[in-house]
Amino acid sequence: MDAFLTSRIIADVLGGLTNGVIYGMVALSLVLIWRSTGVLNFAQGAMPMFATYVGFALLSYHFGYWACAVAALIVGLAVGGLTERLVVRGLYGKPEINPIVVMVGFLIVLEAVAAAIWSSFPRSLPSPFSSIDWQLGGHPVSLSPFTVYEIGASIVVMLLVAALFRFTNLGLQLRASALAPEVSRLLGVRVGRLLTLGWMLSTAVGVVTTILVSSNFFTGLTPQVNDGIFAFGFIAAAVGGLESPVGAIVAGVSLGIILQFVQDYLNSNAQIIVALVVLIVALMVRPNGVFTKSSLRRV
Amino acid sequence: MKIEVVRRRFAVSVALIIIATVVAFLIAPTTHNGVAIAIVLDVAVACVATLTLPGLRSSHPVVARAALSMLGVVVVLFVAFFLPSASDFNLATGAAMSIVLLGLSFLTGASGQISLGNSAFMGVGAFTMAIWANHHATTPIFITLLISVVAGALVGLLLGMPATRLRGPYLAGMTLAFAVAFTAILGEFSSWTGGDSGLQLPSEARPPHWLVSLFHSGASPLTTSTLWLTEISIVVAGVAFFFMANLFASRTGRAMRLIRDNDVAAELVGISLPRARVIAFVVSSAYAALGGALWTLIDNSVSPPTYSFALSVTILSLIVIGGIGTISGALIGGIIYAYSTNVISWIVNQTGLNPQGNFASQLNGIIFGGLLILTMLFAPLGIAGAVRHFWHRARNRSSG
Amino acid sequence: MVKTTTRRVTISGTALLLCLGLVTAGSSIVSAGAAVKKTPGVTAKQITIGATEPVTGIASAGYNQVAKAANAVFKYVNARGGIYGRKIKYVIKDDCYGTPGFGCTGVPNTATQTHSLLGLPVFATVASLGTPTQDTVRALLKGDGVPQLFVASGSLDWNNPHQYPGLFGWQPSYNEESKIFAKYIKATFPTANVCFLGQGDDFGTDGLAGLIAGGVTPSDEQLYSVGALVTSSGASIAPYIQRFDTDKCTIVVLDSIPGATDAALGAALQLGYSPQWVISSVGSDPQTVDAPFVGKVPTDPEQGAISFSYLPTTTTSSPWIPWIYKVIKADPADFPGFTSSSVLNGDIAYGAAIGVAFVEALKATGKNLTRAGFLHTLQTTVFSQTPSLVPLSYTNSNHQGLNGGYLTTVISDAAQKPITGTVYTTDSSTTGPVTVAKKLSAGIPAWIK
Repeated sequence: MDAFLTSRIIADVLGGLTNGVIYGMVALSLVLIWRSTGVLNFAQGAMPMFATYVGFALLSYHFGYWACAVAALIVGLAVGGLTERLVVRGLYGKPEINPIVVMVGFLIVLEAVAAAIWSSFPRSLPSPFSSIDWQLGGHPVSLSPFTVYEIGASIVVMLLVAALFRFTNLGLQLRASALAPEVSRLLGVRVGRLLTLGWMLSTAVGVVTTILVSSNFFTGLTPQVNDGIFAFGFIAAAVGGLESPVGAIVAGVSLGIILQFVQDYLNSNAQIIVALVVLIVALMVRPNGVFTKSSLRRV
Repeated sequence: MKIEVVRRRFAVSVALIIIATVVAFLIAPTTHNGVAIAIVLDVAVACVATLTLPGLRSSHPVVARAALSMLGVVVVLFVAFFLPSASDFNLATGAAMSIVLLGLSFLTGASGQISLGNSAFMGVGAFTMAIWANHHATTPIFITLLISVVAGALVGLLLGMPATRLRGPYLAGMTLAFAVAFTAILGEFSSWTGGDSGLQLPSEARPPHWLVSLFHSGASPLTTSTLWLTEISIVVAGVAFFFMANLFASRTGRAMRLIRDNDVAAELVGISLPRARVIAFVVSSAYAALGGALWTLIDNSVSPPTYSFALSVTILSLIVIGGIGTISGALIGGIIYAYSTNVISWIVNQTGLNPQGNFASQLNGIIFGGLLILTMLFAPLGIAGAVRHFWHRARNRSSG
Repeated sequence: MVKTTTRRVTISGTALLLCLGLVTAGSSIVSAGAAVKKTPGVTAKQITIGATEPVTGIASAGYNQVAKAANAVFKYVNARGGIYGRKIKYVIKDDCYGTPGFGCTGVPNTATQTHSLLGLPVFATVASLGTPTQDTVRALLKGDGVPQLFVASGSLDWNNPHQYPGLFGWQPSYNEESKIFAKYIKATFPTANVCFLGQGDDFGTDGLAGLIAGGVTPSDEQLYSVGALVTSSGASIAPYIQRFDTDKCTIVVLDSIPGATDAALGAALQLGYSPQWVISSVGSDPQTVDAPFVGKVPTDPEQGAISFSYLPTTTTSSPWIPWIYKVIKADPADFPGFTSSSVLNGDIAYGAAIGVAFVEALKATGKNLTRAGFLHTLQTTVFSQTPSLVPLSYTNSNHQGLNGGYLTTVISDAAQKPITGTVYTTDSSTTGPVTVAKKLSAGIPAWIK
């Protein structure tokens, strides 16, 4: 049993799961915004990065990890809301390239400003859990307290988002305003506020991802911390279908596991190439994503 | 146009050409023959072009565009002679970039598709150029450029086929994935592409013999200076602009714009959507490849990180600020690319910021990103669109 | 329809031909009056030099301090009246290491930035950074006759005086460093199972060649890709380390940049795998490497690693250490908040040492400064009063630069100390032996003390 648990295959599955939940979360945050406002948010990596820097600036005032994390979340909500109000609001109903370009611009500005304020030197975020793998019979299991925390926190966030949409009145309104904004407005739903809320939620999900990613051993927090992850999360969202939150998560986790095997059995360079192939094949079979129910598009 | 005006212009032109010839004869003994010929030819072409352009525009639009392209090329070439070598080099890089921008302007502006993969298509051209030159050093430069364009078009076709079924965000996603994967793909073929170190052209790129022999044989400034590279880039850009102007005005171009505005209507009038989309995609990647191949020639080498996803972001920024969907926007974008760093370091000097400080070194990104947002929010057609808008307003006011 | 098509083709063809013809017409007006002999970039009051550096972007972390530190030395010398009355103006251009990362939007590449330096003009480029970046401008600088001095990279590409007479390296080559590592590994760990992870360019391949030339053949050798390192935020290194763990490697030699060193140390920590690390000087700077681990693990995972240094470490009593502190503190514009208790990291020491080498060479050239005279001095003088451990010397057939240093061990998140203090020297060939250096650098020249 021990030999099985420490085997290469299990190690890859567990390692892939850890990466996969992160890709899934990025994909989820993209879907949240796409569904509610039809904007493809290229700054989805940069906005939470900025919020995390601001939140964890409290570290130098001797606040603990959790206090900083909560602060980062609050800043994230604010950044998301303000972005929607000040930058994105004027773009609804414009050709779909306009919001894409604006968010690319926002991405460039945020990364440059972050590097100007905090420099591009990596900043270590303290971690409340050890990243050292548990051992079984002298062999590592590819699972550490930190990875359990990483996976656990992601699942909690996903469940919270699901619960919000399924079981609360607010969630119902959110879904309604995304599906039929005009009808919702007529029924007295304050659609404008809900759109802002969608952006706030999405950025908060992003902040959780950013904190998890930059507390691992390898990189620390840098202005570019989310660039690579964004690409994979984006691919996951496109494979899963931008309309489907469940699809985003499933695609993200699957992509993480597949790529872990690719990295282990081929090489790390091949990861992004395989991701590209997966995307092309998935989109050739279903041009609007694997999990999108209706393939009709609005005319 | 009144005959009176035509006659007067004709007389002025003849006078100018005569003056140019006299000047050429006077300076010919002290400089190269080529310079004298250049002066006469340039003035002649400029005169003929201005003389005939208004009439030609309605009767022979293609000839008019050719004349306009030539006029542009002549003027820029002329300016290039008097610029210092650093500015010339910037101009060459910018001219190559404007070719890439033309392709993207056509794809996005005319057919409504979004590509974030242009850095990779540029890379295809750039590496084809370097690889071919390393294996067949004797191939003339123009042939190698053409081969690179074909390679770019083929890769564009390969990727364009699945892409035709996709709309907006999905196409953006696929081209993004291609751009991010491109450097990894180069790494997989490292025996061809030189791995992380990239490739050098086999010998320092030299001007073709006929170009040198027209001047004093082996004139050293010509072989070492970057001027001839600038000339090639500008001429190639001129040819690229000429073809693109025709494409924009052609039946295909009109069909593309219809697709952009209303694809259902386009299908109803019998336009084949997939075919039109593939054509647009292939044209844009061929243009990108041409720009990349020129970069290899200008830099005398190619290195993989240059063609990372960040370059796609730069390309997109430039065409949006210049004016997406317009031809002049690509030109403006190219000029911005060529000279923006000079302007920004000038700003840094003027404001007294520490040029090595965190803020000054990030100013490039802050300004580019900021301009991108402001352009999209307040002038979606970029500088070209804004200028056109004010021009029309001014004309309407003066006439009405 | 057919008719218009034919006409179009004819017209387009004509236009094309005309355009091609124009290239002939529009060729250079060459100014014939370049008779006045003046050294470009040099006046009676000033010497202008330049460099291209990754000021922004992913490669900027740490490396962006190299040129600033060199500039701090120049400012210090300028404040003392300059060299023969000339002050040094150092123009640093951002090349983003070839544009990886969004931070570099709109930033042109190395060739463009080098051209803008040539337009100033500059006397030489000094301490420009990076192998692929500087490779691309070798021909350009040679064509303009501009010396390309002290390239910040350990590639062998800089030692080619026959083809590039103005091109000079500075730091020991990756081969030399690896040969010295190999000698130490053979003597200290004769039975070890050595594995190797290197960067997928000449950094990794030259380093591996040096290791083998020195008599240590790794049982497993892997090369990582920088692109994958960046897109995966470091995770791409983990499988190599997993492999080394499975293969029971007891020594792991890393020829890696600091980001990859972090990823390797992190992956090993996670697996509970603790080999003896041997890390190239390029990727071992303690402060840079420890940055992502601060506050997460009680001790710096790099502690105990073996590395190499061609500059005196901060733990030694070298007079250069307090001198560099003094110089950096005097430049608060580029190093805000740098005090006597700040960490003097490897990048700052590196830049300062290159700065000193350049001003020493200028001083030795004399008042009448020409490019030819400067290069002649550089090739015929032994500079024994610069911060490097061995004297800096070039000949007309060897432009590599420093050729020795000592082995160090990392003792904290801020410092490494020499293991024995014995300075070894060697060359980049496969046969040249590793010997104890006979001549060491002397102290600080009086004129900059």
